[in-house]
Amino acid sequence: MLIEIKELKKNYLLGDVEIPVIHGINLNIEKNEYVAIMGPSGSGKSTLMNILGCLDTVSSGHYYFNEMDVSTLDDDALSIMRNKEIGFIFQNFNLLPRLNAIQNVELPLVYAGTPSTERKEKALRALNRVGLSDRVNHKPAELSGGQRQRVAIARALVTNPGILLADEPTGALDSKTGVEIMRLFEELHTEGNTIILITHEQEIANYAHRNIYLKDGMIHSDKINSDKTIIF
Amino acid sequence: MQYGENVRLALQGLTDHKFRSFLTMLGIIFGVASVITMLSIGEGAKREAIAKYQDLGVNNIIVREKTLSDEELEEVRAKFSQGLSIQDAQVISEIVPGVERIASQAEKNTDVRYNDKSVKSTIVGISPAFQSMMNYKVQKGYFINDKHYNERLKVCVLGAGVAASFFKGEDPIGKLVKIDDQWLEVIGVLESKSLFTETVGELAARDLNTDVFVPLSLFLNRFTRENQLSSEIQQITVQLKNSDKLVEASKIIHEILRRHHFNNDDYSIVIPFELLKQEEKERQIYNFLLGAIAAISLLVGGIGIMNIMLATVMERTREIGIRRSVGARKIDIMSQFVTESVVISITGGIIGVLTGIVLSLIVTLFTDINTFIKPYSVFLAFSFSVIVGVSFGYLPAKNAANLKPVDSIRYE
Repeated sequence: MLIEIKELKKNYLLGDVEIPVIHGINLNIEKNEYVAIMGPSGSGKSTLMNILGCLDTVSSGHYYFNEMDVSTLDDDALSIMRNKEIGFIFQNFNLLPRLNAIQNVELPLVYAGTPSTERKEKALRALNRVGLSDRVNHKPAELSGGQRQRVAIARALVTNPGILLADEPTGALDSKTGVEIMRLFEELHTEGNTIILITHEQEIANYAHRNIYLKDGMIHSDKINSDKTIIF
Repeated sequence: MQYGENVRLALQGLTDHKFRSFLTMLGIIFGVASVITMLSIGEGAKREAIAKYQDLGVNNIIVREKTLSDEELEEVRAKFSQGLSIQDAQVISEIVPGVERIASQAEKNTDVRYNDKSVKSTIVGISPAFQSMMNYKVQKGYFINDKHYNERLKVCVLGAGVAASFFKGEDPIGKLVKIDDQWLEVIGVLESKSLFTETVGELAARDLNTDVFVPLSLFLNRFTRENQLSSEIQQITVQLKNSDKLVEASKIIHEILRRHHFNNDDYSIVIPFELLKQEEKERQIYNFLLGAIAAISLLVGGIGIMNIMLATVMERTREIGIRRSVGARKIDIMSQFVTESVVISITGGIIGVLTGIVLSLIVTLFTDINTFIKPYSVFLAFSFSVIVGVSFGYLPAKNAANLKPVDSIRYE
């Protein structure tokens, strides 16, 4: 089991009042699964993603990653987890505007302490994988939306993480470019990557193999996607 | 994350916002430059003072005739004081303990002539001990010695200024100059002395380069006094074996002279070393003030850095979130921002050091204030600027590191 979540609860403090956002979720995700987590806004899917991505901590319950209890880790250990095991892909790309494509991709390796020549080599390989080997020295502002998202995907891939965590990855893209990105995800999945997709669009969720619906901080449904969209 | 990576990042940040970085640095630049300039002015003044008093001899006590008006002089003579005399010098050397050497000196302002040229000069009759006691150096020939003194030879040693106005390109040694009705042979020329611009006690400011030295024996024997009431000699310089008995000895000298001059207050006693110590003490307060002003400006520079860094952290919340999301630990963010402020302060420090050196040179060139830059003051100012960078960068960097990744990644 890659991810095992037991009785996960998360509350937010609003003034003096604790607002429960996640009410106790149990969830298992196997290696090489392609999961879409869906739900309307306020359903707790962003919170769940933050916890899965080690950006946030649980209020109660347990989160096991590769059988390790992540919910007990301190800030430094969580940083190392993010660095080694999580590849984030955001709706708004979250690239550093002053760095060019390859420098952006190298960033996780910088914090991993990888020597510079090895870093370049790995970053080039990742950029090559997403089809951007001719754009390595471009700054984000000089790239199209789809290209930016590819740089972000290359950055997520470069450390060879346990999961790719994509938060509305096509949300800022036109539909044609969105389809291209979804095709890339499909390929990455075929290559053995575990992908968790957060979305509120059924259309996007249809690309995944398993759909989890969250509602009011609980799992409303969890089913294998029988009529998944195939991209030719 | 490697240290070099942080420095590279910080430098890139600097060059990306050149004007802003420059403005941020300005405080440090002014701070460091003022520390260096202030310290160099203080050090220059100190060296000048030391040089000045060294000329007067640090182990010396100088007894000098007071400058009196004719009426006062008449009054003093009427009360039986004959003014300073060779006899006074003798008594001092016999009674005062710890005297190494003693030199008497008679003076007279008159013209010196060579061929058709004439120069206003102070003729100084001296005993041979004088030269070594006062650190006078001869640039040509030699100084008056025992033989000249004992045999009252008609010789003289010229101050550099006198020699320069008489002998352009000519060798002055062996030439005859005329003082009053006496022809004297030039046996030496002194090295040029810096202008004695300040009055030290009764030692009035004057240009020592226009002095002409003759044996005191000759002076007393052959030259008329400047005025009938003038004392026999104008100055007695007493050199002690060491400087810690100066005050004690000066009290004894005072006592002797008071009796010999029948309680007439017609002489003054100057102890250069004591004046030096006193001046040093005064200057210490002054230096402290200068240093404090400079330190405050450096502090203000540091606050400037802190201000900008705090704003930068706010502005770069998103960047911090991104870095955290790809695995930067708190310490990585912290060191990134501290490095940035240190790079700002070091760069400012370097520019400030250069500015300070240039300012000191300008001060020396365009005013009569001497400056001297000690390597220690450069080191002090520079390390101070680094400390400012670290300490004022710490708080903003801590703020940056403590941002929650989950909040900062979504910061708009």
